[in-house]
Amino acid sequence: MVINVLNGLVYGGLLYILSVGLVLIFGLRRVVNFAHGSLFMVGGYIAFAVAAHGGFWVALPVAIAALAILGVILDRFVFRPLQHEDPIATVLVTFGLLLVLEDVVKTIWGKDFLSLAAPPLLSGTVSIAGETFPVYRLMVIGVAVLVAAGLSLWLRFSRIGLYVRASSVDPVTTGMQGVDTDRVSAVVVAIGAGLAGLSGTIAAPLMALSPSMGSFILIDSFIVVVVGGLGSFTGAFIAALLIGQVHNFGIVYVPWAASLIPFLLMVAVLIWRPTGLAGGRA
Amino acid sequence: MTPIAATMPARPRARRLGFLVVLLAFAVAGCALPFVVKSQLFLTLMTQAAINAVLATGVGFLVRQSGNVSFGHAAFFGLSAYATALLIKFGLPAEAAIVLAVLLPTLFALALGVVIVRVTGVAFSMLTLAVAQAFHELVLKWRELANGDDGMAIAFPSRVFGIDMATFQQPASMFLISWMTLVAIILGLWLLQRSHFGTLTLAIRENEERARYIGYRTVVPRAIVYAVSAAIASVAGLLFALYNGFVSPGTLHWSLSGEALIMAIIGGPRLVWGPALGGVIFFFIKNAAGDFTDHWPAVIGITLILVTVLLPRGVGGIIVWATDRLTGRRER
Repeated sequence: MVINVLNGLVYGGLLYILSVGLVLIFGLRRVVNFAHGSLFMVGGYIAFAVAAHGGFWVALPVAIAALAILGVILDRFVFRPLQHEDPIATVLVTFGLLLVLEDVVKTIWGKDFLSLAAPPLLSGTVSIAGETFPVYRLMVIGVAVLVAAGLSLWLRFSRIGLYVRASSVDPVTTGMQGVDTDRVSAVVVAIGAGLAGLSGTIAAPLMALSPSMGSFILIDSFIVVVVGGLGSFTGAFIAALLIGQVHNFGIVYVPWAASLIPFLLMVAVLIWRPTGLAGGRA
Repeated sequence: MTPIAATMPARPRARRLGFLVVLLAFAVAGCALPFVVKSQLFLTLMTQAAINAVLATGVGFLVRQSGNVSFGHAAFFGLSAYATALLIKFGLPAEAAIVLAVLLPTLFALALGVVIVRVTGVAFSMLTLAVAQAFHELVLKWRELANGDDGMAIAFPSRVFGIDMATFQQPASMFLISWMTLVAIILGLWLLQRSHFGTLTLAIRENEERARYIGYRTVVPRAIVYAVSAAIASVAGLLFALYNGFVSPGTLHWSLSGEALIMAIIGGPRLVWGPALGGVIFFFIKNAAGDFTDHWPAVIGITLILVTVLLPRGVGGIIVWATDRLTGRRER
């Protein structure tokens, strides 16, 4: 039982790190990045490639940095030019990117499943409530907590955080007060993409790497974002924990319907509160 | 999304007549095709293209009539095909199974629509994607019911509605059936969007709040638009099931939903016939690309990006622009 809850937290934490990147990008650029799951996948593959030469602890920062740079490029050439167009245009373009990225990864690393071992430092197990639990999985929960704490402190207390909050509410007025909103957005998209890289890297020892792993988790993170309320950080946190638990208990107790349960939860939330758990603006 | 004048039915009579004449010409041309072209390969491709075009027409109708983009229409396509297979497996007569295969997904879409049309825009796209993927996973995991990854052969009897089953499974005759279905659907949608309901839903698309203020309920009409587009996708799924006699989880996968959307975008969703044109173009690009490279997903992805950025009105938009120029009619 305790182990199940912990496993739910692991998946929920992973989902949170991924989804909060979507939320950040949505907040600033008003776009939903359909390629976000692909960034997660690319992060995992870059970590795999780097880990083969330098080990996990080199791969982690390299994957995050590589994805952050990719994020800046995306922001400059996709999100910024399209932000005044119909949001659907961005959806379509990022969907096109998703197809291209999956194909590129397939070309470089092939279609087969690859796996990345957990670093030796974290490969042991601990005993919790009379059962053993991998240290690595505990670390994933820890990273999610750190990301949540770090983000909320950063948004609340730093100057850029203030700009981010201001320009996600009203970019025009914020811009008029002398804030370079395009630069703020670029930083935020870089962080969002970097978080996708982080989640891809830490997911690599947990799940097998495959070109389709991105679209698989993208769907769960969409459910998280919608259930939480589009653009809400708190909502994403609560929803990710909820979906993590529901997902995991589904797999344990009703495996054939496991993937339906997050979806049913989503429909229930939408009937009850169309704007999501913590959502103001839909 | 679109300036309302672009899709309002207030068009000159000549133009209306022109649409009907061209549609009739296409219907006739389609009928002649199997008698002119003897290449089985080409007819096979055209049959698949026509079935794809029906699916794309459903997706495009939703975009045009509600402004919402569905990333989950494969759900209705696949549900319809699976419903045919499962109902026949459980002993229903094939005729009843075929009718229910369109009816059940449509009713489901109506019920679902009442819930999910409350969210609009991008959130709607995300929801439709999640719903469709839930079905895909269900079929994959529930092996006893649907045989998982391997899919199911459909046990059609030798005659359906008094028609020899071979008629449905040979490219030449199936092409005619699919093509006629496509033409009928396009005609039906064209009439629908000129009706009171059509203009009402356009008004809701442009400004839902205003439509509510002048006394219309808005959720149900939007759910109906969703259900109609789902019904069209179900018809496509049924045609697929009849033609192939086989159904696999691929028919529910979100890449099919994405492809249907790409077809609609390439052809131009602002036109009733645009998505169908896009469906045929997409199918031939995909096949041509598949002939010389394994990277057709990337080819399709790049095509999608280019069309979205450079040609927001799609190929259909260009054709309309060009004919307007040729006939000396100035557009707005």
